[in-house]
Amino acid sequence: MLSPKTPETKPVKLSVKDVAFSYGEKKILDALTLDIHAERVTAIIGPSGCGKSTFLKCFNRIHEVTTAVKVSGDMLIDGVDIYKGGIDEIDLRRRVGMVFQKPNPFPKSIYENVAFGPRLFGVNDKVTLDVLVEDALRKAALWDEVKDRLKESASGMSGGQQQRLCIARALAVGPEVLLMDEPCSALDPIATSKIEELIMELKESLTIVIVTHNMQQAARVSDYTAFFWLGRLVEMDLTERIFTTPRERMTEDYITGRFG
Amino acid sequence: MRAIATLRSPSRAKHVDKFMRGVLWVIALGFILVLAVFVGAILHQGWPILRLDFLTRMPETLEAGGGIKPQIFNSIYLVLLSLGLSLPIGLGAGVYMAEYAGKGRTLNFFRLCIETLAATPSIVLALFGMIVFVQTLGWSFSIRSGALTLALLNIPVITRVTEVSLMSVPRELKEASYGLGATKLQTILKVALPYAATGILTGLVLTAGRAFGESAILVFTAGTNTSAIFPDFRLTVPGETLSVHLWYVTSDGTLPDAREIAAGTAAVMILVLLILNLSVRFLDRAIRRRTR
Amino acid sequence: MNDSPESSLVAPALLLELPAADRLAPAPPEFRQSRLHRLADRWSHLVFLACSLLVVALIGGILFFLAARGLAAFLPLTGNTGRTLSFAEVFLSTDWAPSSDHFGILPFLGGSLAVTGLALLLAAPTGILTGVFIAKLAPSWMRSLMRQVMDLLVGIPSVVYGIFGLTIILPLVSHSFLKDAPASGFAISAMILSVMIVPTIVSLATDAFEGLPLSLDEGSQALGSSRWQAIWHVLIPAARPRLLTACVLGLGRAIGEAMAVQMVIGNNPQWIALMREFTDRAPFLRALFTPAATLTTELVQELPNTPTGSPWNNVLFAMGLLLYLLTMVLILATRRFGRNEVA
Repeated sequence: MLSPKTPETKPVKLSVKDVAFSYGEKKILDALTLDIHAERVTAIIGPSGCGKSTFLKCFNRIHEVTTAVKVSGDMLIDGVDIYKGGIDEIDLRRRVGMVFQKPNPFPKSIYENVAFGPRLFGVNDKVTLDVLVEDALRKAALWDEVKDRLKESASGMSGGQQQRLCIARALAVGPEVLLMDEPCSALDPIATSKIEELIMELKESLTIVIVTHNMQQAARVSDYTAFFWLGRLVEMDLTERIFTTPRERMTEDYITGRFG
Repeated sequence: MRAIATLRSPSRAKHVDKFMRGVLWVIALGFILVLAVFVGAILHQGWPILRLDFLTRMPETLEAGGGIKPQIFNSIYLVLLSLGLSLPIGLGAGVYMAEYAGKGRTLNFFRLCIETLAATPSIVLALFGMIVFVQTLGWSFSIRSGALTLALLNIPVITRVTEVSLMSVPRELKEASYGLGATKLQTILKVALPYAATGILTGLVLTAGRAFGESAILVFTAGTNTSAIFPDFRLTVPGETLSVHLWYVTSDGTLPDAREIAAGTAAVMILVLLILNLSVRFLDRAIRRRTR
Repeated sequence: MNDSPESSLVAPALLLELPAADRLAPAPPEFRQSRLHRLADRWSHLVFLACSLLVVALIGGILFFLAARGLAAFLPLTGNTGRTLSFAEVFLSTDWAPSSDHFGILPFLGGSLAVTGLALLLAAPTGILTGVFIAKLAPSWMRSLMRQVMDLLVGIPSVVYGIFGLTIILPLVSHSFLKDAPASGFAISAMILSVMIVPTIVSLATDAFEGLPLSLDEGSQALGSSRWQAIWHVLIPAARPRLLTACVLGLGRAIGEAMAVQMVIGNNPQWIALMREFTDRAPFLRALFTPAATLTTELVQELPNTPTGSPWNNVLFAMGLLLYLLTMVLILATRRFGRNEVA
């Protein structure tokens, strides 16, 4: 299972084998095989429309909520197939958290946003909730900024704070994997760098998969990078190698901007 | 052909344009005038009678000087009862149509049924209520017959407004909830419905207004009499509402001051309607402030 | 439903088998959906479905009960305690004299059609033009004012419309046009009805015009046509299916309205004879102010006075059934015009 060319390999957390996604008759992704390692950041890059967001959403089956994407092949978390009965989507989504492109806090207070997850699982005790909320907000590096206004509405926060609140909200249910779908595309550079710092801290205890348009961001935060093009995985390797000595000509062209 | 005609006389087209714009303004202002005259006349007619003792006295059957106290009570009581009956059903049906029915034939069929029920004349609902509740179940003219039949009037409106409000819940919020491991039911109850609540509430206030003004249904189910006890919460007694009272005194003609009583009742109803509309405006503004 | 004893008993079996479990902070065991939540999620849609099915059942139930009573006029059903009538003597006769055993309902059907047609004649053009005005021409303050006006007009109870007609319009018309002869009839009923149904037409027409692609409007004005020409030659034809829907739904509202019309129309089932008399010796328009009757007004007027099960009573229910079937036909008709919304 372990890839031979990576010296300090962590165990494989998510594994994708020969997966194809289709929407109706249209194939979005085809013949996809890759491994994602625990406690590492894996970036997925590629031109828009290459199916990388869809790919990300398939890891917690959130696409099932709105679209009818059909998945074939094996997608495993810790060796358990997430589509073939090993685990149901409710448990899966608790374990595989997601941060979306646009910050999407609930129209509730900061506190209630973070407490939303634990409440779903029957945690209603005030003391426990307080601890969980503080812990999640600290992990998301937001506690110091909001500890005095937990009861205020989340919609009054800045975009960057909202996005970190969404990260805290996801962390509050103790996920093992965090999927991030272009989490900084709606943010300014300062907020972006805060999120990137946060990603570096979070990978100590989490598996992170991030879809990004921003090549510098992929280079800065990720350990592995996968390059998608027209629904296919062109190349996946250590980020350093992808950005210095890619094996495929196409990858090099894309990274150096000689593309499209 | 038309293009050629306009090419030939651009100045004439300009005159027509100006004239027709004027006509549209006149029509629109005409409706405003109609409303103003209407509300003004009703309030003007009712004003002399609108004193506190008119609102707090029991009605008379043969003499002048009766009040409308029990009718006010019955109106509020019946509106609340019918809303209580129709809200759960309307909410449930609305949730089903927005969240479960998908986009295919099932949804279309349910929509057709809701539209049909919404378009069914209230006199037809009245006949149905009369056959089923008043006669078959033997409940005679009573608050319960009235409330149940009135609920039929409310259900399609509440269903529709619930469906529309749920459709307007942003997808991102639902995804956020699902992404945390919420079940579909939890997402609906904890995210979608709270978000849609203000919209549903607006619809509810409008529904209350409609039920409050309804008369045809209640004439045939709740009756044109009222209990001698006040307040009478029993569901088995007849419950004449304000709108039925207004109709009954004018068509019955035994009261010497029927005209005054009708005028006063109409004024009260218009005032209630204005208050309800103002509160809807208020709610609307609250919604807009939040979604901004 | 938030607390469940099972939640803490369920061992997070999957979590313990993780290869990296020693390094990752394991989630507290309560972070699993309780069995109660899962059961609720699995079965709750049946509750919602039941609510929807109740609406379907109501549609059928109304049809069933009205048909049971209405058809009893023609069939020897249990509800029939008198003579069994033939369809022809009810639906094809203008002779309505229940006391002498004549039950032709054509006067009421004709009355309903006349009053509804007249109301639509007034409300459809003004309503559609107001819709255009709100959607395309009015400044924003006027737009919101018009919306509020229409909201109020639609919210006014029908009995209040009725009392307005009875105490203000009838005397006014009688005094100024009829030399103080009592006024009632189709014209005044239609006037009041048109104000009652115009909000429906305006709101649907406004939606129809707002739903048109902006390019239609711009394209036609780019060719040099005036605003009005664009409206008349491009926008109204383009919106036609939905305008038709608006008018049909307005028609449905008008034909089913009972109380307001009943209060002003005069309630005279013999209006055909009376009107003929009037048209003989007065201008035709005068006949529109003579007492008349419609399906709904006759129901309101006579239903409380007829013994249950008598042919008279059964025919009244048949009239109700007819109204209900008319509603269904109208709704199905709107479906045929294409995309369809109910306000």
